[in-house]
Amino acid sequence: MENILECKNLCKTFGKKQILHKVSFEIKKGDILGFIGPNGAGKTTTIKLILGLQSITNGKVLINGYDVEKEFTKAIEKVGAIVENPDMYMYMSGYDNLKLVANMYKGITIKRIDEVVKLVKLENRINDKVSKYSLGMRQRLGIAQAILHNPNLLILDEPTNGLDPEGIKEMRELLVDLAKKEEMAILISSHNLAELDNFCNKICIIKNGEIIETNEITAIKKDIEHQQFIVEIDNTKDIKKLYSEATIVNDKIFKISMKKENVPNLVVNLVNNNIKIYEIKEDEKSLEDAFFERTGGNVIE
Amino acid sequence: MSSLIKNELTKIFKKKSIYITLFVVLAFVILTNCIYKFFFTTGNSYGYSDSYISYIKEELARLDPTKPSDTTMYIDLKSELETYELMQKYDEDAWQRQIIASQLTGDISEKNTYLYSSEKDEAKAQEIENNINAILKKLDSDDWKYFANQDLEKATQTLNSLEEQKANTQDKQLLGELEVAIENAKIDKEVAEYRINQDIKYGTDYLNEALTSYQSYSLNLIQMGNVDNLEYEDKLQYNESLEEKEISKYIIENKQDINKRNDTRGILKNFFSEYGLFIIVIIVMIAGTIVSEEFNKGTVKLLLIKPYSRAKILLSKYITILIMTVFAIAIILLMELVVGGIVFGFDSLSVPVLEYNFNTSQLEIINIFTYVGIEILTQLPMIILLATLAFALSTIFTNSALAITISLLGFMSPSIINALVIQYKVGFMKYFVTMNWDLSGYLFGSLPSMEGMTMGFSIVMCLIYLFVMLIPTFIIFKKKNIKNI
Repeated sequence: MENILECKNLCKTFGKKQILHKVSFEIKKGDILGFIGPNGAGKTTTIKLILGLQSITNGKVLINGYDVEKEFTKAIEKVGAIVENPDMYMYMSGYDNLKLVANMYKGITIKRIDEVVKLVKLENRINDKVSKYSLGMRQRLGIAQAILHNPNLLILDEPTNGLDPEGIKEMRELLVDLAKKEEMAILISSHNLAELDNFCNKICIIKNGEIIETNEITAIKKDIEHQQFIVEIDNTKDIKKLYSEATIVNDKIFKISMKKENVPNLVVNLVNNNIKIYEIKEDEKSLEDAFFERTGGNVIE
Repeated sequence: MSSLIKNELTKIFKKKSIYITLFVVLAFVILTNCIYKFFFTTGNSYGYSDSYISYIKEELARLDPTKPSDTTMYIDLKSELETYELMQKYDEDAWQRQIIASQLTGDISEKNTYLYSSEKDEAKAQEIENNINAILKKLDSDDWKYFANQDLEKATQTLNSLEEQKANTQDKQLLGELEVAIENAKIDKEVAEYRINQDIKYGTDYLNEALTSYQSYSLNLIQMGNVDNLEYEDKLQYNESLEEKEISKYIIENKQDINKRNDTRGILKNFFSEYGLFIIVIIVMIAGTIVSEEFNKGTVKLLLIKPYSRAKILLSKYITILIMTVFAIAIILLMELVVGGIVFGFDSLSVPVLEYNFNTSQLEIINIFTYVGIEILTQLPMIILLATLAFALSTIFTNSALAITISLLGFMSPSIINALVIQYKVGFMKYFVTMNWDLSGYLFGSLPSMEGMTMGFSIVMCLIYLFVMLIPTFIIFKKKNIKNI
């Protein structure tokens, strides 16, 4: 299948500081790529380079086969995006904002605008001023303006930012719906893997400006098979002798990561050593926290 | 491209700020017209204010004419009071007041001197009193031509006696002085004849004003002598005097109040000095925010990921500013026409505007609308350069406050700078932008404010300044990294 978006060895430096080191990935038709990384990892910078909002120090971005730097207007024509916040003209109504966008592309009819408004479920509030919208509504309006011209690549920068769990769920449903109905390739960035793992089919993880993993989501999930458990006992001072990999939280609690099927062995072992067990529970940390823990945390330079 | 411009205009007209600004401007237009209608006076009426008169009366009651230290003061105030009382008999704009002011004040104070000062002479005082009464009788008979003829007679006598003296003198220095005096007397005589021939009653109306300025500008011209021998600055003054003299002459001969300021035409004629600031404020406000606001609100990202080159996006914004320039001028012009029409009526619009053409040495009689059109064209370089400055600063620094403040400063400072440059003849400053962006000085063959400047030179300089601002702006905008907002 052909690549809709292709990033080849993207480098970006601000002054002497290198923000991105040879970032490469690609998105094929029908892909939903989750672009995951902690704050400051370079997600937004990468997206800005793809969209031509910042100059590329080194490397190449191809969208539908067009080089963003050399043939910007052709490359960007079938791209819809929200970067950072869904910034709209607050003093205008949602509908007026969409009309402004519609004016900038050829052949967007009033019918198409109404259709998109219905798709993002804003039909009741579309004539209100954007300044009266909640953040969730603005996110939806942002998506509406991004898909108005039937793009084949949709780039969303942290679209769940500032949304409540209900809003996140709605957003997820909307995007899955869109990917199906409008057949778009979607690049969606987030600092929260758990939010995305339900509907992305590919994950790309970026840390300190470097891609550390790009893979199918199923493969990554398999990779993070070790889970964390929190164990509360009467005294943790001898635990290190039994399990050197355990991390001691305080004199009653320690953490340990292992496969779930090994937990009964842990219980038996502790009991055999005369240690009283009060509680064993799974650590509810998000998947990518575990992932980063495994790879060493992100440090903002 | 046209859809981009359409979008920019939509964004501007969807904002409340433009309507608030236009509303404030309308309020100022109405205020300006009302002030001209209800409070404008030419300022040269004969008479005293009530508060001054009551002050005089109090002082007179307090002063003692027999005390030597008070005498002079007493005589002065007493004379003023008597003059005032004489004037009170006539209407405020009656011709008699001028005669009282010009002919009787001297007599009255002389009379009072004889009455109250140390060298008392009642007989002489009585004599003057009779003289005054004779004049007053003439005033009551409403025969202003008597005084006009008297003026003419006096002027003729003076002239004759001066010419006699000139014939009898050999002294070269004295001869020169006499020649100047003769020229002055000739003008006095000419003006007196003019008054009689053109049937201009004494008073304070525009015809008398024109007569006065005709006299003073004629004097100026004679004092300056031959124009070819003059310094450049004096040449400028000479030209101004020549123009004013010719215009005064036209006013007198056509009985049209060309210089009238308090009607629709008068305000339109001074359109730029009355409303230039508002035009600049509206345009600078738009030009100073059109790019920076997109950056500050983050909407620039929305704009720059559309299938247009950055140059096109910026150009569409610049063209929008030019369209808004035309709009701002047109709407303020319209406001003045409508408000002026309501306050003063439209009749005055048929009165033309006069410009002296130095090439043909003739007065150009111009329709008021043509004149306003010409004036707008000559001010356009300034408006466009200031708008471009605001646009450039707004794009380069993405800071609206900076862009607007500096551009408004640019509008206000030139009057000071230009005056200094002209006064001290700072030659290199003829390349400076504020010396070139007002083209009105080049029209009708008039001399530019500095020697050696021409309209072509100024237009080229303005274009250079325009591109010096625009080219870096476009380059910087094209290369700009859109940082986090």
